[in-house]
Amino acid sequence: MEHSIPNAPKSQKQMTKAERREQQEAQRAAKAAGKAATSQPGASSSTPTPTHRKNASVTGKAAQPSAGTPKKLGKGTDGKQVKGETKEGAHPHPPMDETPRGLRIFSHFGTPKPPAVTKGDIHPAIIRLGLQFAEFKITGANARCIAMLTAFKTVIQAYVTPQNNTLSRHLMTQLSPQITHLVSARPMSVSMGNAIRQLKLDISGSDIDLPEQDAKDALCDTIDNYIRDRIILADQVIQETAGKKIKDGDVILTYARSSVVEKVLLHAWEDGKQFSVIVVDSRPMLEGKALLRSLTAASIPCTYLLLPSLPSVLPHTTSLFVGAHSLHANGAVFSRAGTAMVAMMAKSRNIPVVVCCETYKFAEGIRWDGVSKNELAPTPFPLTSTSNSPSHHNSAIKMNPNLSILSPLYDLTPPSCITAVVTEVGIIPPSSISSIPGALGRATIGA
Amino acid sequence: MHIHSSNRGPQDPKDRPNDFDIWITYETILKNKEISTPLAAILALTELVERSDAGTMFELVKALNDGAKVLNERTPNPIGLNAGCELFIAFVTLFPHDSDSFSDLKKELVKQGQKYATEALTYREKIAELALGFIKDDSIILTHSYSRVVMKTLLRAHERKRISVYVTEARPRGLGLRTHDELTAAGIPCTVVLDSAVSYVMDKVDFVLVGSEAVVESGGLINAVGSNQIAIIAKAANIPFYALAESYKFHRLFPLSQYDLPTHNPNILAFPLTPAASSSPNSLQNKNPSIRPANGNEATPEQSRSMTREQIACNPDVDYTRPDLITLVFSDVGSLTPEGVSQYLVGMFAG
Repeated sequence: MEHSIPNAPKSQKQMTKAERREQQEAQRAAKAAGKAATSQPGASSSTPTPTHRKNASVTGKAAQPSAGTPKKLGKGTDGKQVKGETKEGAHPHPPMDETPRGLRIFSHFGTPKPPAVTKGDIHPAIIRLGLQFAEFKITGANARCIAMLTAFKTVIQAYVTPQNNTLSRHLMTQLSPQITHLVSARPMSVSMGNAIRQLKLDISGSDIDLPEQDAKDALCDTIDNYIRDRIILADQVIQETAGKKIKDGDVILTYARSSVVEKVLLHAWEDGKQFSVIVVDSRPMLEGKALLRSLTAASIPCTYLLLPSLPSVLPHTTSLFVGAHSLHANGAVFSRAGTAMVAMMAKSRNIPVVVCCETYKFAEGIRWDGVSKNELAPTPFPLTSTSNSPSHHNSAIKMNPNLSILSPLYDLTPPSCITAVVTEVGIIPPSSISSIPGALGRATIGA
Repeated sequence: MHIHSSNRGPQDPKDRPNDFDIWITYETILKNKEISTPLAAILALTELVERSDAGTMFELVKALNDGAKVLNERTPNPIGLNAGCELFIAFVTLFPHDSDSFSDLKKELVKQGQKYATEALTYREKIAELALGFIKDDSIILTHSYSRVVMKTLLRAHERKRISVYVTEARPRGLGLRTHDELTAAGIPCTVVLDSAVSYVMDKVDFVLVGSEAVVESGGLINAVGSNQIAIIAKAANIPFYALAESYKFHRLFPLSQYDLPTHNPNILAFPLTPAASSSPNSLQNKNPSIRPANGNEATPEQSRSMTREQIACNPDVDYTRPDLITLVFSDVGSLTPEGVSQYLVGMFAG
């Protein structure tokens, strides 16, 4: 990657370095183009975009990265490039490059893009799902997981065990490319990951002697039970438990849109509790609007505001309810970008912060910040100046080779900002997350 | 401790004798000074199991739940009692039913309940022994109100070490004065401190030791009103704050704030509806006569006034101390950090 800083007189040294890099990129582009199974719609040569997956906009522009790009590959090359670049950055006045740049920081974030070439036999249901993920038609940890499991049921039913193979061993090899395809559309959520791990366990434990159709039906039943027990019923228990924490006269603050929090609020309202809701929203996703629609349809008095206006409503708030993408072993909550800010501000004013999260979203690892693993949101801004502006682009922003838009999708709320976590096993403080699986007799968190 | 209730009422109507029995039984048990409310609840419920004519586990659990509800409604302070009830009901529900007949199972439950109660009376000793390790010679300890487990610990410590104790008055009930009397009688130097003078005395203190009504799921403490203030001051002064609690006081409650406690009701700390209510003219009239004689006689220039009964009723009895203010909780299961309390509770009750 070259610097897009407007230059002063170019120095010999940097010129050569830049030229060397151009060479490197050209070679890499050639390699990538060569690897591609199907044709790359002529974008490779004109711009260095093949090496920059980030430059693709959500509308599926022509400049697409090469096929089969799991995040790792991008991370490897781009990560190295970023490092080298930052070292370079110490030198003043690098040569200006007209070509648009991708992100200079956080280039390891997953970008939204439609899935590239499909290698191997991808079931149409999975292709459709991949497209829906990439275009953010299906969002939310629960929705994605349920959609994925439902698609897998179709795949399993369509599956035929080849000769001399057993279902329990071969089915997984069939499912793996499907999973890879989905991951290439959008990085896997923790909820999806846990569900897949459970599914793999069930498949490998499937009885060898069962006739094929029976085995497939049994697997589909297991999937249905998983959805029912870990998501649907868990949500019902959470509704009850969290509902007890809502009293008449409360003003509940919530951020963006969590399916669980929505259910909690609607259920409490049906129970006859009289409260009002403040929905805080932020760009670019603006998911709060959908929540607002659903709450006002139930006649709940609501207030809607954008994140920058948050301090003005905090004095009137009784409690904050948020959802989570995943919950980590140290008690940190990974959720929609902006949640951390809302939680920190609420906590600093002694407003209780309640996180509603099912146990299947628990992640084994420990996370301290939102930077190590994250995703980019589909922004309303064109990521490169070369892309044509589709309807939702903000034409007020004039694209500039010096301007890159960074819009992370998630952020991490530290456990010190959280008062309580409501799960289907009860209300627990964030520090006790790690003791839940032991109590439930499970081997690992999120099992 | 085997208690045979003298109230063998008529057996015919199912609800009446149980309703009658359980509250009276509970009160009778409570007469024993050593038994705290959760234990008394457990014993009362054990009694209920013994006298119940339920034929299945489902009926028995239902009867227990009903009994617990009755106790809850009639007691002014439900938290500790609730902890005991929930513990016993969870125990009954999880008890393995491999006995052949249901009456055998009931006998076993009763036996276990009474055995637990007997053992539970030794918990205070265990806690005192545990806390002893944290009390150094020449310690100055601050405690709040009156707590049996703290008394036991202090008396125990006094046997081997030199300690001095500050105790808060703990208005409005003034139980701190009782602590003072008992400690002085045992020979421990003790001074009563005004509730408002806690921050004044805090820098002289080595650590704070309080008892508890209940220890909750968040790792926080529910105790006589004033504990939260002391904890906040201790935290600001970097003085350790230790809570002593028997394991039957661990409760699955999770208060999000002071106002989320079950003991909180809209009357507490509420403003009077009409400022010019009947009470104020009276007080004004009362004021005037008292001022005149004071001016005239100059006998008692400062007459300290106290709150009226109604004013006291607007104030809370217990408050909630957040887990981040508590250093350690000493219990018969060991010394736990507030996070550890929650992990213990989750391990016991979840799933």
